[in-house]
Amino acid sequence: MRRLALPIAGAALVALLALIALNALRPGQQVTRAQTAAAIAAELRCPDCQSLSVADSHTPSAIEIRREVDGLLAGGASPDAVRQHFVERYGEWILLAPRSPLAWALPFLAILAGAGLLVIWLRPWRRAGDRAMPPQQAGPDAQLRQVRDEVEALDG
Amino acid sequence: MRNLRWLLVPIVVLPLTLLLFHGFGRDPREIPSPLIGKPAPSFSLVTLDGKTMSADQLRGRPYVLNFWASWCIPACVDEHPVLLQAQQRYGDAVKVVGVIYNDSPGAARAFLDRYGDGGWPQLTDEGGRLAIDYGVTGPPESYFVDAAGIVRAKQFGPLTLAAMDQRFSALLAASAER
Repeated sequence: MRRLALPIAGAALVALLALIALNALRPGQQVTRAQTAAAIAAELRCPDCQSLSVADSHTPSAIEIRREVDGLLAGGASPDAVRQHFVERYGEWILLAPRSPLAWALPFLAILAGAGLLVIWLRPWRRAGDRAMPPQQAGPDAQLRQVRDEVEALDG
Repeated sequence: MRNLRWLLVPIVVLPLTLLLFHGFGRDPREIPSPLIGKPAPSFSLVTLDGKTMSADQLRGRPYVLNFWASWCIPACVDEHPVLLQAQQRYGDAVKVVGVIYNDSPGAARAFLDRYGDGGWPQLTDEGGRLAIDYGVTGPPESYFVDAAGIVRAKQFGPLTLAAMDQRFSALLAASAER
């Protein structure tokens, strides 16, 4: 099992990288402004909803933000500039997915740290396990032999 | 290796406890405004009385933009007497300006008739553009702008008497510095 862990992890990593590369190499499609606007709206939090994106909501704020996204794109703003426009008003809160790479790395770091702690804690147990069997000569056979010898000595 | 177990407390338990303590100790809806220290968004809107009012007109004197709605119950109802007091106590030095958030002018008018009209301008914000420019997430919210047009503070939720005194005097002090 242990010998398999590394190849499996390696294969998973290669598969993941291949997927990412394939995705990046996919022939570029013509994306309309409405599609870009919809994609950005799906990333923005609707201010007067509970955990809904601007794209999924029909509140007045969501409708106005959608209109503003489209207006900014029409004015030549890049998708990043449009996101920044709203971050400057609401803070990063408006983005449904955090921008900080740390936020994405943290769960994996936590898993790694947990695995490391497990290894540290389990290692002494394994070593103790190796030592757990008592030496052969101290077994019941030796005791039995000693008793027999002593009884024979008494008889003799 | 066994004796490493004491490390568990400082490196796992303590940080987790602090994180949870920090997380549960605050209102997740109370988000800090990125506008603090930046120039206030400009606007030109029509008041309930039909007059046009712009941010440039307010320049030179500190003002408070109070986003509210008649459907915001009980927070806006609780806050209203505090605003009336603020208008009385600081009205000469600080201009109070209401902004009606996601609400019809008729409903806002009815609210003022019922709970008392302090006489300060009430801006109608069609589509909520000004609310978006300020990053408003839910009424009541108040933004404190100094005489130079810089946003100094944000009050999330209703102003209490104590918060009102503290915010208004801080705003006056900030405006006097310049």
